[in-house]
This record gives sequence, C-alpha cells and structure tokens, in this order.
Amino acid sequence: MKKKVLFLGASGLIGPFVTPGLEADFDLHLADIKPHPDGTPVDTVDVTSYEQVYEASRGMDAIANFTVVRGDPVLSFQVNSLGAWHVMKAAVAHGIRKVIHSGPQSVRNAYAHDFDVAEAPGASGTGYYGCTKMLSREICRIFARTYGIQTPYFVFAGLGASPMEAVKGQDIPIFRVFWEDLQQACRLALEIESIPDDFQEFNLFSCEHHGKFRLDKAREILGFAPARDWGEYFKRLP
Amino acid sequence: MNVLITGAASRLGRAIAAELATDHRLRLFDSIPVDPGEKAEFIQGDLTDPKTVWQAVRGVDAILHTGEPPPELPEGSLEREQCLLDHATRGTHVLFSAGVEAGVRRFVYGSTLEIFTAYPDDIYITETWKPLPSPEMLSMSRYLGELTCREFARDNMIGVTALRLGRLVLEEEVEDREPDLMWLDLRDAAQAFSRALQRDTGGSVRWTGRWGLFHIGADIPNAKYLISPARSMGYAPQHNFAHHWPIEAAK
Repeated sequence: MKKKVLFLGASGLIGPFVTPGLEADFDLHLADIKPHPDGTPVDTVDVTSYEQVYEASRGMDAIANFTVVRGDPVLSFQVNSLGAWHVMKAAVAHGIRKVIHSGPQSVRNAYAHDFDVAEAPGASGTGYYGCTKMLSREICRIFARTYGIQTPYFVFAGLGASPMEAVKGQDIPIFRVFWEDLQQACRLALEIESIPDDFQEFNLFSCEHHGKFRLDKAREILGFAPARDWGEYFKRLP
Repeated sequence: MNVLITGAASRLGRAIAAELATDHRLRLFDSIPVDPGEKAEFIQGDLTDPKTVWQAVRGVDAILHTGEPPPELPEGSLEREQCLLDHATRGTHVLFSAGVEAGVRRFVYGSTLEIFTAYPDDIYITETWKPLPSPEMLSMSRYLGELTCREFARDNMIGVTALRLGRLVLEEEVEDREPDLMWLDLRDAAQAFSRALQRDTGGSVRWTGRWGLFHIGADIPNAKYLISPARSMGYAPQHNFAHHWPIEAAK
C-alpha cells in the first residue's frame, strides 16, 4: 500500500512541478489555499489554521510542507512560522512520523566567497522570508527531536526546469535545483526510515561543478545524486 | 539614557523599572495600563502593532525587551499558544525593526534558561552548550525571540545582548519550596538588565562582537548554571536563596 502523503502548497511555485514525480510511488493528497494552476483538484487547506491542518493530516503517513509567503510583514510569520508549528503539532496529534519541510538556503550569505562549503549554519538575516523560515526550521527541529518525527528540511536557492538543449554563453547555475532532482530528493526523504537526530537540513541543488557548495549530506544520508551531469548542457563549445 | 522597557506590567518589567528609575529616563510599554509614576512615561500598545511600537521607540537610546508574554492571553489553549508565538517572534521583529529605524543602538532581550532543562544536573551549563528547547510554547517562543534578536545583531550595527534568565521568583517567596537550581531573583534579573544596558557594542565590525549572550542565574554553591561571563559585565547577584543554600555551605 502506498504511503499517504499530505502535500501542502500543491498549487504554489514548487508543488505543481514536484508532485507529478511522486504520484507513482505515493498516495498524494494535494492541498493549498488556492486552485491548482493546471486545474488538478486540490483540497483547500490554509496552514495558518490549525484546525484545517489537523483535519487534512488525519490518516496521513507523512506531510510535505511546501507553503511559503516570502515578503509580507504579517503573512510571512503566519504561514512560514506559525504554519510550520501547526504542521508539526498536527503530526504529533496524529502520530505522523515523517514531515518534509522546505525553505531558502541561507549559507550563501555567509559563504558566498568560499569553496567546499558543506552544510554550515546559515545566516538568515532579518528579511521576512529568511527570518521566518529560519524560525520554522527551529520549530521543526524542536518537534522532531522531542517526538522522534523524521524531518528532512530542504533548502534551496533557485528552482526550475532542467535544460533540454545546450545553453550557450552561460555559467552552470549555482545552488539551483532542477525539478527532477527535487522530485528525487522528496522521494528519498519520504522513503527513508530515519535520519540522524531526527532532523537534518539538506542543501539541495543540481550542479556541484564550481566546487563552492557541496551535496555531501544529501548524498550520504539520503542517497541523493543529480539525475545527470547537468554541466554537459553548459559546455563552452567551439 | 532614555530607555524603553517592554512588558512593563510584568513582574520583571516592574523590577527593571525600579532598578533603573534613579539613573535613567524611562518609557514603559505594555498592552495593559501601567502607572509610570512621576518620572517615567507610559505608552499602551501591542508589540505586533507597528504604529504604536514606532511611537514607543522614538527618541530612546536603548530598548530593554523583557521577553515576557503579553499580560492578557486568549482563553483557549490553541489561541494562547498562537498568541505567544506571534508575540515573541513577529512582535520582537516589529520592535527591533522599529528600533533600528529610529536609530536605537542598544538592545537587551530577556531569553530563558529553560532551554537547558533537558540536560541532567551533573553537567555545568554555560553559554557554549547547545540549547535543547522543548515544544512547550512559553519557553520555545522565548527562545525563538532570542534567535530573532540575533539576526538583528547580524544585520545591523547595533549592540544586542540576550540574557538567558533563570526561573524568576522572589527569594522570600520560595523559602518553603523545594530548592530549584534555576531560580533567579527578580531583583538580580533587573540588575542584569541594568548591567547589559551599559554594553556599547554596536560599533563592532564583527557581528559576533555586536551580539552578546549571557546566562543569568543565582550565585549558589555548586551551581549548575555558571555565570562567569555575566560577571564580566558587572553582574553580581545579591539574592542567592540563603534559606536553601546557606553561605556557610560554600566554605
């Protein structure tokens, strides 16, 4: 029987591109506050309402939280931080042992000019997006450790479609994850039985070529590997 | 200095006001009325309301953010927890944002030592130990407020001092209770705020120089929560629960 997964944020900037890659392996329950851009049916769930998150989580084996509000002085706190608390609280209430969260990377701020940077403590700053996601990360970490909820926390910078043909005159994108790689990472995160300390933050991107940021943790713990050598699409050709 | 004290209606807020009243001009802030006395002023408002917070921070030299929960919380447990989280995180963000914009350069925040209760009593706890906060909202939200403050020290040329306070009591009111290694007399907590107010670190080019973190506890024999770093800023607790830990026991 497929694992039942509540996917919050199914209609947002990430959900529509990730969920198709998970449908074959998981019984997905799509939820968002707005309609799906492709018309796919989604349940209306507002993460700022604990009651709605609680009801939507009933019967689930896992929750994937891809909700976000980036730059609002009130909603960013309500969706990103309070929403994360609602998700973890509902997971506890229903005995759900797996929750995936996501947020922006913050390691580039501190280490933009360094190399061989593995997972280093980030510097989220005071911007509404970074700060509230940092708070959500800590909420997740606290609940994961206390209740044994396996909580992989993915952080990324850019997301988007993988190249389909050679890209001329452009460097390989850094700290950008392509959809099929994010799908793979989510699949691995949902399947893995346990992760060290019940909570791990994973830098996630598709191209390691620059030697700047590393995927060691995602590779070693989740078994993640980019679907292909995407650098081949960015070769400087004569 | 002109000093803003948030959570002024709380026992901690009142203790801080009493400690500072002689040497500073105080502006008290809370969501319920507080009698400011003859010398201080009072602004009533909610930390999550940018308009009243802006009024509160204008013209002050320092902000002492007690970190105390709002005096009037909703009845329901869910709403209560939501309010605590919002107040501690967004409220702190609103306050510090306004303070930075108003040119305030000294901030002190009342965090909590409760984030170390998971550690056994056979460990000496200092600031170098990793916090292990519980999901209990009162302490968790206060810790999240501390993290919010830290980001402001990272991003701005301001001095921010976080004081991780023990369990706030008055020495005389706990004489009949079982001793608690985390007790901290309110008057000593207020003293810690007064000492922290003197720190002028906003000019440090390193953010770690702008950010200060101190554990504030009582000076009891064989204390679990060591306070040596706090002593470096002049903190010297006076109310050390002699009823439970007589001074002679230290000899």
